[in-house]
Amino acid sequence: MSQATLNRPLSHAEMDAFGTELDALRARTMAQVGAEDARYIRRIVAAVRYTEAAGRALLFFGAFPPAWVLGTLLLGLSKILENMELGHNVMHGQYDWMRDPHLNGKTYEWDIVGTSDNWRHTHNYKHHTYTNVRGMDDDIGYGLLRLFPEQRWRPFYLFQPLIAVIFALLFQWGVAIQRLELGKVFSGRKTKAQLREEFRPVGRKMGWQLLKDYVLFPLLAGPFFLPVLLGNLVANGMRNLWTYAVIFCGHFTADAETFPKSVVLNESRGHWYLRQLRGSSNLSGGKLLHIMTGNLSHQIEHHLYPDMPARRYAQVAPEVRAICERYGQNYNTGSMWSQFGQVVWRILRHALPSRPGKTAALVAPAAEAA
Amino acid sequence: MSPAPNRLLRAAVAAPVFDFWSRQFGSIQAWDRCLARVVARREEARGAVTLTLQPNRRFAGFTPGQHLNLTAEVEGVRLTRSYSFTQPPRTDGRLRLTIKRVENGRLSNALCELRPGAVVELGEAYGEMSLPQGPGRYLFLAAGSGITPLMALSLALEQNPQAEATLVYWAQRRDELCFAEELRELAARQPRLRLHFALTREPLRLAGEFGRRIDTALLDEVAPDLPALQVFACGPRGFVEDARRLTQERALRFHGEAFTPPEAVAGGAPVRVQLLRSGQTLEVPAGAPLLAALEAQGLRPASGCRMGLCNTCACRLVEGVGQNLNNGETVAEPGSELRICISAARSDLTLDL
Repeated sequence: MSQATLNRPLSHAEMDAFGTELDALRARTMAQVGAEDARYIRRIVAAVRYTEAAGRALLFFGAFPPAWVLGTLLLGLSKILENMELGHNVMHGQYDWMRDPHLNGKTYEWDIVGTSDNWRHTHNYKHHTYTNVRGMDDDIGYGLLRLFPEQRWRPFYLFQPLIAVIFALLFQWGVAIQRLELGKVFSGRKTKAQLREEFRPVGRKMGWQLLKDYVLFPLLAGPFFLPVLLGNLVANGMRNLWTYAVIFCGHFTADAETFPKSVVLNESRGHWYLRQLRGSSNLSGGKLLHIMTGNLSHQIEHHLYPDMPARRYAQVAPEVRAICERYGQNYNTGSMWSQFGQVVWRILRHALPSRPGKTAALVAPAAEAA
Repeated sequence: MSPAPNRLLRAAVAAPVFDFWSRQFGSIQAWDRCLARVVARREEARGAVTLTLQPNRRFAGFTPGQHLNLTAEVEGVRLTRSYSFTQPPRTDGRLRLTIKRVENGRLSNALCELRPGAVVELGEAYGEMSLPQGPGRYLFLAAGSGITPLMALSLALEQNPQAEATLVYWAQRRDELCFAEELRELAARQPRLRLHFALTREPLRLAGEFGRRIDTALLDEVAPDLPALQVFACGPRGFVEDARRLTQERALRFHGEAFTPPEAVAGGAPVRVQLLRSGQTLEVPAGAPLLAALEAQGLRPASGCRMGLCNTCACRLVEGVGQNLNNGETVAEPGSELRICISAARSDLTLDL
C-alpha cells in the first residue's frame, strides 16, 4: 500500500479532537501511576545489578568457555537492560515522581561511553521535540546514512551498506559524539577550540568507560585478563547491535515519515501528536521483547508520552490504536523481522539515488486554505 | 580509609551501585546519603509513636531543640517532613523522634506504622531553638506535637546546671500526653524543671493539671516572673500566635515555632522565588509560567521544548507550592521536580536552580 492511502489528512478541528483524546488517555493513565511502577523499576534496577555482578563474576572464570559465554551474555543483557529499560526511561523523567535521587531524570548517568547530559540534549530535547523533522532531528541517519529519499544523495552514500554495519557495531560511540556535530567542524561552522571544550566531558566519560571495561575489571581477573577484556568487548558489542536495531526500527521503517522544518511553526498539540505518530513505528511481540527494548517496542506510545513510565505503554497501546483508527491514521507496527527488514531495505535502496514518493499531508488542504 | 584507595574506590564505584549493594547486604551505609535504621518503636501516647533510629556515619549531629527532614517511601513515593529530636544527643549516637498521627498525614501515619528494621533517610539538623550553656531561665509552652523539641530541651536541662525552666504542656486528653511518665520522673529528680500539664477536653482533672487554653491568668500562675524569662512556644499556629500575643511584650525574649502547611496564593499575586544555585531571589507573579517569568527578568535557565516534555528545564522544588499548568495539579511536596516551562509558583518558592 502506498503511504498516501495509509493516512487521512486531518482538519484543524479533527487534529484538536485527536489531541484532546490523547491528552485524556494520558491523564487517565498517569493517575494510576504509583507503587506498582516504583516496585517495577526497582526490580529492573535489581536485575541490572545482579546480571552485571553474575556476568562479571563468571567472566573471571572466562578461561573455561561455557563460563565465558554465559558471563558475556549476562553482562550484555545487563548493559541492554541498563541502557534501555532503566537509563533511557529514567532520563526521560519517567520516574521523577518517586523523588529517588538515584532515579532522577536530570542526574542519572548510564553505562555507555556517551554522557547522559549530551543524550538529554540530543535525544530528550532535539529528537523528541522535532521527531523526524529534517534538519532538526539529528537522529535521521545520524549524519552518516541516507534513509529517506528527501535527503540529498551524494556519492558517499554508495558505501552506506558497509558504513551502516560499522555504525551498528560502534553504535555507542556514535551516540557519544552525536552532540559534537563533527560535520560542523569539517565545514568550518565550529572552531577547533569549541570542539575541544565540548569534547572534555565526553572524553572523560569515554576514558572512564574504557578504563572500567578494558583495564580495571580485566586486571582484577589477574591471569584471565584477556578473556575478561574480550567478554566485555563482546558484551558492549551485543548491546550496540541490539540498541541500533531497536532504535532504527522505531523511526526508519517503510511507512515512517519525515517532515520539513515548516511543520513545527505554531504547531498545535494535536499536530505534534500526529507528527509523532507518523514518524514512529512499533514492534509487536511479547513481554520479554518489551522489556528488552526498554519498551521502545512501543515507540509510538513513547513518542506520544515520553515521560510516562514505559511499562504503561503496553496498557495504553490498544486505546492509542483505537484512536488512530477513528481518525484514519495508520498504526505502524510489525514483527521485529519485518520492521528491521524494512530498515535494511531503506539502507540499501537509498544508498542509490531515489525520489520521494507520495505521502498524505498532516493537515487537510481544504482546512489549511480556510 | 587512606586517601589513595579511597579515591580509586570513588572512581570505580558509582553511588547508586554502592548504595544498592549496601542495602542488599543489609547495611545502612550509603555513598553520600544519611540513612538510618529504626531500632526501637514505642507507643508513646494515643496517636503518637516514638522511634529510635541508628543513623549511618553520614549523620552530622544536632543540638537539642532542633529538627530534621526525614524522608521515607510511602507507596513508591518518597515523602519528606520535618520532625524534632525528643532527646539530647546520646552517647550511642542513636536518635529519638516522636511522631504524631495526623489526619491525612501520609508520611506521619506511615512512620507510626514502621517496625524495627525499617530504613529511612535523614537530612541535616536545623532550627534556631536551643539552650545555650550558662545561666538562663525559660518558660516552655508546648501544645500537642509541639512538645517534641521542648522535650529535648527539658532533658537538656540536666546537662546545663545553670538553666532552669517551667514547662506547660497542653493536650486535649490525658492519654494524648507524650512522655508523661518520663517528664514526671524528670521533674521529680530535677528541681530546675517545673512541670504543668493542661488538658482542654478531659472531663476529670487531676491535682496540678490545668483545664483550659493558654491565658494571662494561667501564665501569671505558672510564671509570675515572666519579665525575667525567655519563652519558647511550640505547637499549632493558633497556639503559637496566642502565646506570642500574651508573652512577647512582657517576657525577656520570645521564640515561637509553629507547624505551618504551605498555602497557595491566588494567581497574579507577587511571590518570591529563591534560586539556590544562582543565589538570586526574584519576584514573579503567582500562576505565571516560571520559565517565561524568569527569562523576563534576564535569567537564562536551561530549557528545551517549552511544552513540558523534554525535561530539560526540570528543577527540584525545595520549598513552597508550585502548580503544573498543563493539568492544574498543585505540587507542594519538597523534592518534586518542577518543569518550569509548564509550572507556576503558587507561593514563595525555593528552587534548586
